[in-house]
Amino acid sequence: MGRLDEAAFSALHAGTSRALRAYVYRVLGNSPDAEDIVQEAYLRMLRADVPTGSEEHLRRYLYRVTSNLIVDRWRRRKFESDEEMPETASAPPRYEDDAAVAKIFAELKPRDRALLWLAYVEGESHEEIASSLGLGRRGIKVMLFRARRRLRDLLQAKGVLVNS
Amino acid sequence: MTEWFDLDADEERAVAAFMDRVAHLRTPKPGLPSEHAPQLWVKGRLLEQWEGARRVQRPLEIMQRVEIAGGLLAASVLLYLSFVG
Repeated sequence: MGRLDEAAFSALHAGTSRALRAYVYRVLGNSPDAEDIVQEAYLRMLRADVPTGSEEHLRRYLYRVTSNLIVDRWRRRKFESDEEMPETASAPPRYEDDAAVAKIFAELKPRDRALLWLAYVEGESHEEIASSLGLGRRGIKVMLFRARRRLRDLLQAKGVLVNS
Repeated sequence: MTEWFDLDADEERAVAAFMDRVAHLRTPKPGLPSEHAPQLWVKGRLLEQWEGARRVQRPLEIMQRVEIAGGLLAASVLLYLSFVG
């Protein structure tokens, strides 16, 4: 495996930057830091001199670096110290509205947002999610289940999903 | 795709549908213009070169400090000996 050259980097950037930015933006919750984090992830990849493997391998590496940067940012803002869940009971269910969808998603904890995004939007397996977030594979299954359950509860509280 | 612990089928569909909506939300344009691949490439390579230069210089910087410390120590010993002698 050789070194990543400029053409390969450009192709990788073209193929990943949009999705990566959306990931950071949604997981960080509309943060103005999203753009910085995406750029820093690419710069770290270039400086780390990652060997050119498959595009999937490089993509995986980018998501791992990006997730680490997001976690660093959470820690700096003390997001990890049991962020309070906002009140959810009285808000009307306006699921048709994009802003409402974004708002509901933003009410989840950052780690839940990352887990759900990687699983549903990126279609990653447990192993890939564990690798992207730097967590143990066994714990991922439980964490993901809890994230899905919290989202379900939130959707029920908003009246988007009727209690069964 | 990931294997799940079980929510019931309706709940799972609702969660998946919601995440599909989230996936298709528009991401606002950044406040500052984002850097494109060629700029990032150049920046990355410059940083890499700078770090390489720092790595090469580090032993020299350490030796410089060792030399200064050695010089000061030698000067102190000579000064001491000149008084004692």
